Amino acid sequence: MSDPRDNVQQEFLAEAQELVEALSRDLLLLDEAHQRGERVDSALVNEIFRSVHTLKGIAGMFGYKHVGTIAHALEDLLDDLRLGRTIVGDPLLDVLFDSVERFQRLLALEDPQAPEEKSGVDAYVAAVRSIGAQPATEDGDPLEQYAIGSAVLSVLTEYEEHRLRACIREGMKLYRLRATFDLAAIDDSIETLRDVIHDDAEIITYLPSLEGGNDESIELVVLLASHVPEAELKAYFEGRYGTIEVIEERAPLPTNPPNPTLIPPDTRSELPPSDDDWGQASLRSLANSVRVDIRKLDDLMNVVGELALVRGAVSRVVESFAADPKHRQSLQELDRVGRGFERQLSELRMRILDVRMVPLGQVFSKFARIVRQAAREHDKQVRLVVTGANTEMDKLIVEELADPLMHLVRNAIDHGIEPVDARMRLAKPAEGTLALNAYHKGSNVVIEVEDDGCGMNAHKLRETAVARGLLTAEAGHDLTRQDMLNLVFLPGFSTNTSVTDMSGRGVGMDVVKTNILRMGGVVSIASEHGIGTKITVTLPITLAIIRALIVTVGSRPFALPIAAVREAVPYSPKDVRSIQGRKVVTMRGETLPICDLARLFGLQPRGRQAGRFVIVCAMGTRELGFVVDELVGQEDVITKSLGKTLSSVRGFAGAADLGDQRLALVLDAPALFTEYFEGAGAQLGAETHA
Amino acid sequence: MTQVVQTDTLVPGSEHQLGTIPVLSVSAGNETYGFPLPAIREILMPPPLTPVPRAPEHFLGVISVRGQVITLVDLPKLLRLEVHERQTIGRVLLVDSGEELIGVAVDRVVQVSQLRPEQIEYASAMSAELSEYIVGVARVPSESSTDPEEMVILIDPGALLGGLK
Repeated sequence: MSDPRDNVQQEFLAEAQELVEALSRDLLLLDEAHQRGERVDSALVNEIFRSVHTLKGIAGMFGYKHVGTIAHALEDLLDDLRLGRTIVGDPLLDVLFDSVERFQRLLALEDPQAPEEKSGVDAYVAAVRSIGAQPATEDGDPLEQYAIGSAVLSVLTEYEEHRLRACIREGMKLYRLRATFDLAAIDDSIETLRDVIHDDAEIITYLPSLEGGNDESIELVVLLASHVPEAELKAYFEGRYGTIEVIEERAPLPTNPPNPTLIPPDTRSELPPSDDDWGQASLRSLANSVRVDIRKLDDLMNVVGELALVRGAVSRVVESFAADPKHRQSLQELDRVGRGFERQLSELRMRILDVRMVPLGQVFSKFARIVRQAAREHDKQVRLVVTGANTEMDKLIVEELADPLMHLVRNAIDHGIEPVDARMRLAKPAEGTLALNAYHKGSNVVIEVEDDGCGMNAHKLRETAVARGLLTAEAGHDLTRQDMLNLVFLPGFSTNTSVTDMSGRGVGMDVVKTNILRMGGVVSIASEHGIGTKITVTLPITLAIIRALIVTVGSRPFALPIAAVREAVPYSPKDVRSIQGRKVVTMRGETLPICDLARLFGLQPRGRQAGRFVIVCAMGTRELGFVVDELVGQEDVITKSLGKTLSSVRGFAGAADLGDQRLALVLDAPALFTEYFEGAGAQLGAETHA
Repeated sequence: MTQVVQTDTLVPGSEHQLGTIPVLSVSAGNETYGFPLPAIREILMPPPLTPVPRAPEHFLGVISVRGQVITLVDLPKLLRLEVHERQTIGRVLLVDSGEELIGVAVDRVVQVSQLRPEQIEYASAMSAELSEYIVGVARVPSESSTDPEEMVILIDPGALLGGLK
């Protein structure tokens, strides 16, 4: 198979990509908190540090020198940040955000060591270093006022000590929580506790106490800092975790530990080095999930298919014994077992499909950065509101969705949301809102991209379409308001006259629509002039299974994804006319171009012409009728790609197993539309004419 | 002479440790073809074939093997060695081309023989213009009584996919 070194390289790139995405996500959170003037979340800074640290490590292993150099410089900066040697501010955030771009560009390079990149990297590292240490104001050591005990203080790491000071400075109270933990799961339990109390309290450190516990459990003394009133904290922890007491603010006797239950100095060496929680935490987060090539899941699915065949074979053997009364009891038993097997098999199938599901947040998180950047570039203020980021969809769809959604998001900022001054004049809030909403609806996922910008002027859209020659003035006259809005989906329609950095790069709404249709989805548009625009994308949860109309052409089965099908009507050859070499029929007063699939595919149509059907398909505002021999019915099918060998053959999205090893080719409706109406369309039409 | 490299191309892996290369020979049309045995995943009775309209002539269509969709090619047509109309398919070889499995339709499977490198006449050493899929030819002892030796056209599975794309 392929070069194992390539695989390792791919693994690295995938992991690095994930780290950079996580970094980008966390930086946005940091930025948001900073803009709102909130205190710096130390857990978040740690998370960022961890991403950069891991990235540095793996970049070193795989020879990505520049990535490693940048990560190293950032690591120092972040270490200063978490130790309170520098503060969060715009220069620091700018440098950090800049790193995301740089990492992504460097990871995309053919040559990870490219010498021409060196000067840019060096300049960036210099910029990082220049931020350097900006010490936070010192005002004496607050630790001395607390009866924490030197035994504890002496084992605190520099970081823990810093956090302790910072918490005291923020006016938090210190608490000592005494709780018993299961030895086997102690790390997880602490981590869970950390998460649970995250918003209300911070764990500074924890040490084993000498009391309590047994072979399987251990009592820990946890040093906590919190803003929450003592009574509330007590009510929460007592009973659930253990006892909690306030560490009083008073003159300490530093050399004499006031709390004898804290570990005495002579056993200190047995303590786990408290630095460890860094390493362990990052190891744990990696160990919880595995990265799997989606093709392996396809392979698993194939094995399930094979098992179903085996089950069928067993049934047939059982049937051959059915006539023999001697075996009756065993056969009943076998039948029962067989049905149990079948249930498990369908369960297995569901579980495998489930593994393919990933949260849409994976793609949404990419937009957060884009929105921030785009808003800055355009001097617009945009707030991104995401709901339903944990809505799950098939990994393949989520991947495919990134580009169309990106286009919609860019459109909303570029053309939708107005500049601040314009919004003020309209008495709108200065900050525009861009909402990304995702939710389940039956077996579909709905994704909405909504902005409170200027909306679309339907009549202006119609004028533009007529001006571009996409529509005759008469045809335009009859359009409903919704029809006018839908004009933006026409190929060659683009309202922006200037090409900006943001959108208008030649990928129009028609491409968005085509891509979404290809995934078996639909896209619709709602807009009020002056109020805002909402684009709604509805997609099946999984690509693996689509609903298809099975038809035959030349006695061979073909599958047509139901998403594209409007209706099926009987074909009457006598109603067919020719317009400019293309065959058309008239349906309800409208002219419908038709394409005979038998002719297109060079097959012999079966039976009488009159018994055939026209399948009316719609794509955007265009309709096309495919002439087929027979309708077989609707079926849920699993589409499999035709592989690299046949990728150059146009018109098929893949093949679907109809059972008994018989395959039906799945028609690629968008490709057939493109072929018919553009480029090769002329030949296609002529062929139909011939 | 870069014989070592070429042996590797013919047989991925370390099967040639003993200096011989196991080759599966099959007959298709009027010729005998040889594939490096490690590249053969399976030999199947032909499953139902679904022809793909508009595909080049050397593609017979697609087949379903345990739920996997596999392209079936006609070897003599691909190699442009002869013009014949295939009536029936005797067996299907599933060949690992390095990236995806390719089905190769043949009339029958002949035998597995151990080839020594010196039995192989490499295409690079021959003057004749040959298809890029052919590594060379080898003469192997034949089952037939009339001709003690048989010429086997050796196919490079790795080149198959590249050429078919």
